[in-house]
Amino acid sequence: MCEKGNCENTNRAVTIPEIATIDEIKDEIEDVKTFYLSFDDKKLDGSFRIKSGQFIMCTVFGAGEFAVSLPPSPENDRFHISVRKVGKVTDALHELTAGDKVGIRGPFGNGFPFDEIKGKNVVYVAGGIGLIPLRSSIVHVLQHREDFGRIILLYGARSPKDLMYEYMIEKWQKIDGFETFISIDNPVDGWKGEVGFVNQLIEKANVPAENTVAFVCGPPVMFNNVIRDLMARGLKDDSIISTLERHMKCGIGKCQHCAIGRTLVCTDGPVYTYRQIKTLGEQI
Amino acid sequence: MFLIKKSEVLKLAEELSKTYAVYGPVVEKESNQTFFVRPDSIGDIDLDAPIPSQPPKHTVFPQIERIFHYSYDKGAKRAEIIADFKPEPKALFGLRSCDLNGVQCLDRFFIGQEFTDDVYLEHRKKTFIVTNTCVKPFKQCFCVCTDSGPSAREGYDLNMTDLGDEYLVEAGSDRGKALAEKMGLKKAGSGHLEAKKAVVDGSISRFESIATDNKAWISRVMNRITTGFIKGEIWEYIGNQCFECGACTFVCPSCSCFNIEDVNRKDSSTDRLRSWDSCSFEGYTRMAGDHNPRKPVEDRRNKRFFCKLSYSQSKKYLRPGCVGCGRCQWVCPGDIGLPNVVTYIRREITSR
Repeated sequence: MCEKGNCENTNRAVTIPEIATIDEIKDEIEDVKTFYLSFDDKKLDGSFRIKSGQFIMCTVFGAGEFAVSLPPSPENDRFHISVRKVGKVTDALHELTAGDKVGIRGPFGNGFPFDEIKGKNVVYVAGGIGLIPLRSSIVHVLQHREDFGRIILLYGARSPKDLMYEYMIEKWQKIDGFETFISIDNPVDGWKGEVGFVNQLIEKANVPAENTVAFVCGPPVMFNNVIRDLMARGLKDDSIISTLERHMKCGIGKCQHCAIGRTLVCTDGPVYTYRQIKTLGEQI
Repeated sequence: MFLIKKSEVLKLAEELSKTYAVYGPVVEKESNQTFFVRPDSIGDIDLDAPIPSQPPKHTVFPQIERIFHYSYDKGAKRAEIIADFKPEPKALFGLRSCDLNGVQCLDRFFIGQEFTDDVYLEHRKKTFIVTNTCVKPFKQCFCVCTDSGPSAREGYDLNMTDLGDEYLVEAGSDRGKALAEKMGLKKAGSGHLEAKKAVVDGSISRFESIATDNKAWISRVMNRITTGFIKGEIWEYIGNQCFECGACTFVCPSCSCFNIEDVNRKDSSTDRLRSWDSCSFEGYTRMAGDHNPRKPVEDRRNKRFFCKLSYSQSKKYLRPGCVGCGRCQWVCPGDIGLPNVVTYIRREITSR
């Protein structure tokens, strides 16, 4: 029945979730867990393709459905989601254990550009759990290291215990030519990295203005400061890319909860350039 | 083109009721209001009744409906999703042109975009539409200003026009034509089409007495809303009058926002329900964690009228989102129905 979408290979309707099993749960930082998932219908493993930057709608049975970004790279990566406990449905998700089932619809949304940014310097600027949606693109870009110029990660969190994917960052840091700058808001004993807000790292990293794209994701306050400083450094508004979050119910452009200006975040986004965001007329 | 005697027009509905659940305008005796509902008997359908208080939106997009249900056995770790969504075939009999345009807006939005809404499509595939030309406007109507009446142009299976003693019946689809032929209706000639034109022209001319300036300004206001050249104070003024009741969205033939909720039942299964929602509610855009990108009420009002009157939304509907039925004006306790909003914006434009 589904005529368009991500389900060409199967005959499923876009409003009906597919059942998946939680294979493993990993505790990340406080209130954040990573859930490794696999589809019960094994045929889907081949046809379920994602683009980095897309999202899925995840059903926690008996509690409801929520939109969540996809951290895995589209190539050779284990399928998982990282979720912070923040409301009724995510609370229920955190109660689940390995072996429990969830429902999945998607993937939805436009995704980050990949081919368009080849040959450029790539700067990732993340704050707190804003690193989760960027992980997909970071891993994908690192898998194709030779296609890009400088690759820089500027990452800030409130304190060392709020740093997402620390174990992964350590792994990435061993990759030749991957530059990381990590800061926390206030000094803590034993912390050897930077101290201050993440926008202060832009100058520290000597972010190049020419031939550079920046991916920005984090809380609204951080977002505005980072944009200001990136622009001051000479980056163009169409080379600053972000992913927006909104209240979503359907994921397919029908329920209209995620409407901003003339666009819908679920089908026209969630990835926007800053040039687009400026014209939408709503706060981040 | 066919003809049917006025006294026999409900036979069409009788015939349809063999295959479809027939909905039509019925005057409720207690309140004297018209509702578009399934009558107890076909004879209760009143084609001369005033425009129904609610649009027929609920027939193709119910106010609340179950889209599937599931059960989850946590002990056995077994989930079962039961997608048994099967709406009944419906015939909408005596639909007004404005409401047909509303249904067409929903069609283009739910079916004509990137994704097809399979729930809505199921409803729509089984809908038979018989429209009724308005021979005179009702007090709040302005369909001539939004290009959606008084006579339907496309999208119907059969269209009826009251010519006095008989109805002219035009077929808009093969199945409409097949029904008329099966009923053995008399063929109509070109003279009848001219009679229809006279009726429609007569109807349009009567709008002049009720269509006040504000309604005629709609296209100009659309331009303003699209380009965003409307002062913040105007939206604030409009927002201050909003009670956030959501009535305007519920009676709007083209409003289609919905909410999705999982509701647990006593037998430990869960229904996934979708129900109408309104952009005037504060919680509409509030995310988990309480971040709400739209806060003040005027911001939310602004968004609704942008949705109804901007060109970018018109691209989705292939027409303005407003179909000129005037129901929002009728129900709004704050007096900010769409025609009044047009008035406020017109005042701002002309006061410069």
